Amino acid sequence: MALKRSSEPQPDQPDRWEAQLRKGALEMAALASLWHGRLYGLEIIRFLESQSRLVLAEGTIYPILNRLKAEALLTSEWVEADAGHPRKYYSLTDTGRERLRLMATAWVDFSTGLTQLIEPVLQPQELLQ
Amino acid sequence: MTAQTPQTAQQQIDIFLADLRSNLAPITLAEREEILREITAHIYDSIELTGLPAAAVLAKLGSPQQLAAGYRDSALVREASYSISPMRLLRATLRIATKGLSGAIVFFVALVGYIIGASFVIAALVKPFFPQNTGVFVLHSYIYSIGVRSTIPAQPIHEVAGFWFIPISLAVGSAALVFTTLAIRRFLSLSSNWQQKLINQTLS
Repeated sequence: MALKRSSEPQPDQPDRWEAQLRKGALEMAALASLWHGRLYGLEIIRFLESQSRLVLAEGTIYPILNRLKAEALLTSEWVEADAGHPRKYYSLTDTGRERLRLMATAWVDFSTGLTQLIEPVLQPQELLQ
Repeated sequence: MTAQTPQTAQQQIDIFLADLRSNLAPITLAEREEILREITAHIYDSIELTGLPAAAVLAKLGSPQQLAAGYRDSALVREASYSISPMRLLRATLRIATKGLSGAIVFFVALVGYIIGASFVIAALVKPFFPQNTGVFVLHSYIYSIGVRSTIPAQPIHEVAGFWFIPISLAVGSAALVFTTLAIRRFLSLSSNWQQKLINQTLS
């Protein structure tokens, strides 16, 4: 098929808007990765990589975790590991859990609305094919 | 030889961490050390888990400058709202100024406040050394100028405050400095509250 759908992200041309979008979602994704229990930074990165294509550079996640902790949405503790150095584990606080629940609801409302809104934009291109 | 010698990999890691440390300078010592400890753990865990060479693991983290900038942006504003250092307060305001008009206005008002405050304090300190050049100068019962003049003004302009100028100017200058400091701190804590409120409003 010669015609390429323009709505598809081009992996070799990272769009600025798409980068902003991912960055905005990263905060919620970081919180969501801790829903089932505590994880350390690298585990959070691995989890996000396996579940989504959110992580831009691995380094972006650490300042976000730091800020979420400052906002008391997360707590952290240093845990000794076999690796020979301790690891910093993060877990959700009650406030964080509540915030994440609100975020998730808002996200679903938001994306449902937008999907309906952009439906006509996507349709003519599909008809062309 | 398939892998880099441990020496070289270790050096690369050390250089990265040293760069990160120096770029994290505005952040408090305790927080900076914790950040470095966490990033160090990330680097060694990554190498062990993926088997990638140190250079590749460091590249995936982004540059030390980028990484530090991520931390600085939020820490700067948070810490400055408890600070009394004019440099730190102005720097935090300047950071917000790049993101909106209200920040830019506050930055310039703050700058003017500091300059006015400092001018009064300096004038008070100059008065004992150049008593005839410094003070409140009056021309036909109107205030002609306040502060330090390079030449002694000719009659009928004359100075009226005398040595009372010192305590008064010190008080006015200090008041301007304190007021400016409190106003910026108020703005900075409001600004982080606003961000919080905006998030909450969007969610509820």
